Amino acid sequence: MTKTIPLLTTLLLAAVVAGITWQLQSPKSLTLRFYPYMGEQVLVFNDLRYQNPGGPGKFLIRDLQLFISNIHLIGKKQTYRQPDSYHLLRFDNDKGYFDIVLKDVALNEYDRIELGIGVDPDANGSIVFSGDLDPNGRMAWNWQVGYKFLLLEGRLTSNEKSIPLVYHIGFDESYTRVTVPLANDSGFFDQITTLKVDFSKLFMQETPVNMEQVSTVKFDPDNVRLIAQAFPDLLSIN
Amino acid sequence: MSVITVLIVLAGITFWKIANDPPVTTPVEFTAPFVFGRFQIPKDNPYTYESVKLGRRLFYDPLLSGNNEISCASCHKQELAFTDGLPRAIGASKRALPFNSMSLSNLMWGPRHFFWNGRVASLEQQALLPIQHVDEMDQDLDELMEELKQDDRYPVLFRNAYGRITPENTAKALASFQRSLISANSKYDKYLRGEISLSDQEEYGRKLFMAHPDTKVSLRGGNCIDCHSQFLTAGFATGFDGFSNNGLDDDEHLQDGLYAFTGNDAHRGLFKVPTLRNIAVTAPYMHDGRFASLEQVLEHYNSGIKMSQTLSPLIIEADNREKVDIQSVSLNLTETEMKAIIAFLHTLTDEDFLTNEDFSDPFNRGSDHD
Ligand code: HEC
Ligand code: HEC
Repeated sequence: MTKTIPLLTTLLLAAVVAGITWQLQSPKSLTLRFYPYMGEQVLVFNDLRYQNPGGPGKFLIRDLQLFISNIHLIGKKQTYRQPDSYHLLRFDNDKGYFDIVLKDVALNEYDRIELGIGVDPDANGSIVFSGDLDPNGRMAWNWQVGYKFLLLEGRLTSNEKSIPLVYHIGFDESYTRVTVPLANDSGFFDQITTLKVDFSKLFMQETPVNMEQVSTVKFDPDNVRLIAQAFPDLLSIN
Repeated sequence: MSVITVLIVLAGITFWKIANDPPVTTPVEFTAPFVFGRFQIPKDNPYTYESVKLGRRLFYDPLLSGNNEISCASCHKQELAFTDGLPRAIGASKRALPFNSMSLSNLMWGPRHFFWNGRVASLEQQALLPIQHVDEMDQDLDELMEELKQDDRYPVLFRNAYGRITPENTAKALASFQRSLISANSKYDKYLRGEISLSDQEEYGRKLFMAHPDTKVSLRGGNCIDCHSQFLTAGFATGFDGFSNNGLDDDEHLQDGLYAFTGNDAHRGLFKVPTLRNIAVTAPYMHDGRFASLEQVLEHYNSGIKMSQTLSPLIIEADNREKVDIQSVSLNLTETEMKAIIAFLHTLTDEDFLTNEDFSDPFNRGSDHD
């Protein structure tokens, strides 16, 4: 009798340890949840509330889409590369955020997330249907020019004048890879990592952009560079 | 004794299964240009030869209307790329409908919302609406099911395709036939496949169609591609991105459009961006057939745009001359440029599509009466 109790306890303990180990080792899903921001506030569509950063007037945002591609999870020993990793982020839904789910990854092994803002030159220069890439889609210019990486459309109102805002930012040179830390939770459960996409960064630059003067950016390389130079700072962990 | 019971029960189950099991069908093998991209076929309506065959007969059969005079094809004629040549369609009531009949092609691609105002989400949902609409075919569905059951051919066609004669299966068959209407052999398609080259004027028009003007880099363009996609020439498939306000009316006259379906103010005056394939044979144009010719359409885009709250910013902003006054909207294309765009639009005509026997009226041919 006195001998069986320690034996049972040992067995039970072994079972618990095995269970935990199994749970830790088994692949988890990682959800990258992107929230759109303008500065400190969550972005609001169709509301004339944002101050022209470099000049007079207020503006509203009507349409906003952003390509994210080639998501990698990087660890000391290994790298996970998501297949068909082209995601068109948009926030005009009821939830107000955009989820990318990486399934079956050994979360414990990684400590950084690396991803591209825009579409990599290979995919940008060819007609492929992978992930959200769609040559018949709104982000396609035409097959000679490639994709818009960022589409931001709206309206600036200044001195009773209404000026359409059209920022279509693309070109291979604008493709930017960024890295954010992957906070490791217990490693026990599926994980959600929230990321902040601060679109005000596009215009709140060293010299703030005067949207009245630069109200549209499409193909002019200098203007494209002006906006795209903010890409490295667009994302942060929330 | 018990053996007999078991046999009877087994026989009963088998009979029940034969009567209710889906029939053995053959999936349609089809090819479509790679550049059309991913297509959508609902899981619960496999795309089969049997369903297309049934759907084709239904599409052309006036039996579907209350007065047995009107078929889908009355308003969707093959030689007109499945439009009817009228500004606004006329059906059973002889009253003009509020809308221009829509061309039916490449429906597996493009927006997942149908009708000018996007109010239905699938071809299956769409098909029963004109049948019952008083101004279109004015038919009672129960009556139609009876008529189909009495017919000497439909029971077999339904059995082969789906099993039973039901409104749901009627809709599915019509949807399948419409999915088979693929237009992919126009001059533009041949050009894309590298088989031919376009004339200088057509090529110039193609370039203008595919470009949003940017005076900063001296790029001239018609900005058509901002809304009509480069290969399908239809609206974009994602969300409501395939709907837009292209400046037909000012605020005072703005119609509901997509707003009628979503109730979202930002959608007032937005209409489905239609495919431009076979556009040269589908006059008159726009949701109310207000333009009689492509020349008028180009005049509209070039200098006839009406300002409104929901007018596309891309249209307001697109100008081939340095913008001096932001309130006046004009593309400022030259006469030559407009002609070139029209020449390009003509390359979208697909004679094979307009004459393909597989899409034609099965009642006109002996071969179907096998
Ligand atoms: C009286 C003329 C008429 C008849 C009959 C008719 N249609 Fe139509 N069809 C129209 C008009 C007009 C529209 C556009 C209506 C709207 O937007 O409200 C349309 C739109 C459609 C569309 C939407 C296409 C798109 O791209 O969104 C489909 C599909 C269609 N019809 C199929 C059919 C089928 C199937 C039948 C027969 C069951 C049929 N139609 C009978 C006139 C007709
Ligand atoms: C801002 C988006 C937008 C742009 C830019 C645009 N279109 Fe359209 N187009 C539409 C919409 C929306 C309709 C349907 C409008 C309606 O009927 O209410 C349409 C309709 C048409 C039609 C009539 C189709 C039919 O079946 O009746 C033609 C032809 C056409 N467009 C050609 C062009 C050409 C050529 C250009 C470039 C010069 C162009 N479009 C630029 C959105 C656009």
